[in-house]
Amino acid sequence: MAEQTLTLPGQVGKSQEDFKELTYWGAVRRKLLHDKITLAAMALGLFMIIITLGAPWIANNILGYDPNDTNLRERNDPPTWAAESWPMFQEFTRTCQGAEGCNWALWPGIFSASFAGLRECFGAGPGNCHWLGTDNAGRDVLTRGIYGGRISLRIGAYVAAVSMTLGVVAGLVSGYYAATWIDDVVNAVIMTLGSIPLLFLLIILAGTFPVFRTPEGLSFLLGFFGWMGVSRLLRGQIFSIREREYIIASRATGASTWRIMFRHMLPNVSSIIIVIAIFDIASAIIAEAGLSFLGVGIGPPNASWGNMMNGSLGSFTNAPWLVITPGLFIFMTTLSIYLIGDGLRDALDPWLKND
Amino acid sequence: MLARYIIRRSVQSFFLIWLSTLIGFTIYQAAPGGPVQFLEDDPKATSADVERLATLYGVNRPIVIQYIAWLAGEDWLPQSETWRSGRCLADPDRCGKGIIRLDFGKSFYFKGQPAIDVIIERMPATFILGAASLFLSIVGGLPLGIYAAIKRGRLPDHVIRVSTVLVNTVPHWWLGLLLLIFLGGYLGLVPLSGMYTIGDGSLLDRLHHLILPATVGAIGGWIGFSRILRFEMLEVLNLDYIRTARAKGLSEKAVVYGHALRNAIMPFVTGLSGIFLLALSGSVLFETVFSWPGMGRLFITAVNARDFPVMMALFVIGSFLGVLGLLMVDILYSLVDPRVKYDVAN
Repeated sequence: MAEQTLTLPGQVGKSQEDFKELTYWGAVRRKLLHDKITLAAMALGLFMIIITLGAPWIANNILGYDPNDTNLRERNDPPTWAAESWPMFQEFTRTCQGAEGCNWALWPGIFSASFAGLRECFGAGPGNCHWLGTDNAGRDVLTRGIYGGRISLRIGAYVAAVSMTLGVVAGLVSGYYAATWIDDVVNAVIMTLGSIPLLFLLIILAGTFPVFRTPEGLSFLLGFFGWMGVSRLLRGQIFSIREREYIIASRATGASTWRIMFRHMLPNVSSIIIVIAIFDIASAIIAEAGLSFLGVGIGPPNASWGNMMNGSLGSFTNAPWLVITPGLFIFMTTLSIYLIGDGLRDALDPWLKND
Repeated sequence: MLARYIIRRSVQSFFLIWLSTLIGFTIYQAAPGGPVQFLEDDPKATSADVERLATLYGVNRPIVIQYIAWLAGEDWLPQSETWRSGRCLADPDRCGKGIIRLDFGKSFYFKGQPAIDVIIERMPATFILGAASLFLSIVGGLPLGIYAAIKRGRLPDHVIRVSTVLVNTVPHWWLGLLLLIFLGGYLGLVPLSGMYTIGDGSLLDRLHHLILPATVGAIGGWIGFSRILRFEMLEVLNLDYIRTARAKGLSEKAVVYGHALRNAIMPFVTGLSGIFLLALSGSVLFETVFSWPGMGRLFITAVNARDFPVMMALFVIGSFLGVLGLLMVDILYSLVDPRVKYDVAN
């Protein structure tokens, strides 16, 4: 791949320096650096990684709370800055349900009280302000949110690693040995996994065996049942390059099957693999959130974005921050992942038409 | 040829369902706990007690025989302790009938009711929600896809694409929770939970309860269906016969709906094949969010209560429905589209 060169359009009228022929990865980097949306998404992704990796420091020095410190006198408390405005907002919603309609006159009061509260919060220092309220055990939601990201992001990365490994091997092998018994076996496994309710199976396994409620165990479970799409896609790709001249040539020179698969075929589909792996991280985060929300994912007391919502079902109208906060964390993370994946898909395939 | 295809797919489906019972039974066996487990923690229990209980429940039989008894029942097995459980030997009425005769055992959690009864009771709720979601997703998704294809590359297409990407970045059940909080909790437009108001239950009341869960359940369908249809429409609209239709002066409407849509909709039917499984999986999360009394919520209750008979029954029935759905769509598709190749599995 490295010797492959290409010139991008838009190079006319540049200095001599710019006419250098680009290597493949050079072209990819060039295209990425010109893609403002992808750059913004990368910045957002970096921000999420920094606040989750730096969670202990942020929790200690800025927020001033421990993610697992309970405080039974502050259960389901609204954000500290909204202590005054929250009851006013609740009053507003009550008027909306009444006969005479919403009382919009309450909003100026809500705004001014919130702003006053925010100003106070900024001056209060660590440990005096729950920026996003508390949960049903009085724990700080924002602190748990950034700590939860450590687990959710870890699971995303692990699941992508497991499912990509399985999917790439299965796809390579079944594509290389297409229409033999090996291909049939892989197809049969994929078909079986595709026709049973996998979510049911996941829930049964996670609910029955406690080992699957740790981040590592849950990742293994999600990855183990999530490789089929990759394998199918790769099988098709491998199948289509199987009879290309360079493969036949390397076979003729006596290269071993493994060498052909991993040295000659794999690099040619690597761009697809990278893109799927990135999208895989996002879907793993969403899947973890679902399982933990149902109470069969990451077990307490550790926070994950999913299990933070688990306890909210009885009280979500009184404490909507329990639902909104983890959801927004998920939204920011998966949005950046999707956009990065999208940008990479375009960048990694400079010949792809944008549709 | 067609008959052979149908027979082969049916045999395949039968095998898949059998496989799912094997998976279920394996988990059942490997799960911690069991009828004699608690005795091992009891200092007063002797090994004779353990032996007696194990014989009573038949858990000391060879594993293959336990599986056969679970699958096909034990009332036809030989009258001996190697084949039958103690209960069955003592009283023929207490013999298991096996899951092929829909005897999944008695629920641990629901006061000894047969597991299958507990499930049948909750089936209609799931089917109503699933059918309503499917209806809404088809009614919404198809026009969306056609519209995006016609307006390709222009503003409506971009709006549809960006909004579908945005909606896909969050779990759909989370959107359901948000809508429930704002529409139900704050504006009081929709009920907060359940399928109908106790003591009411009129059609209007049921629709009122159904509207939000069905809409949220349809989000995935809107996105999926509109994507498939947009892609297919664009493929078809580039074909020669469409140019011919345009060239002979047909109106754009006749071209799109009369000629293009007909062929574009075919792959969409295959897209429907996974819909049973999707609906079933979706039911778990959406029913939990909306406190909908269906099989999905029952499943979570059963898992949290370690109610294995109900869990396994739901898993096996779910697999059965999923496999059956795939089979039905495949057969329907082969009947509708004469171009289907029968010898290629995928």
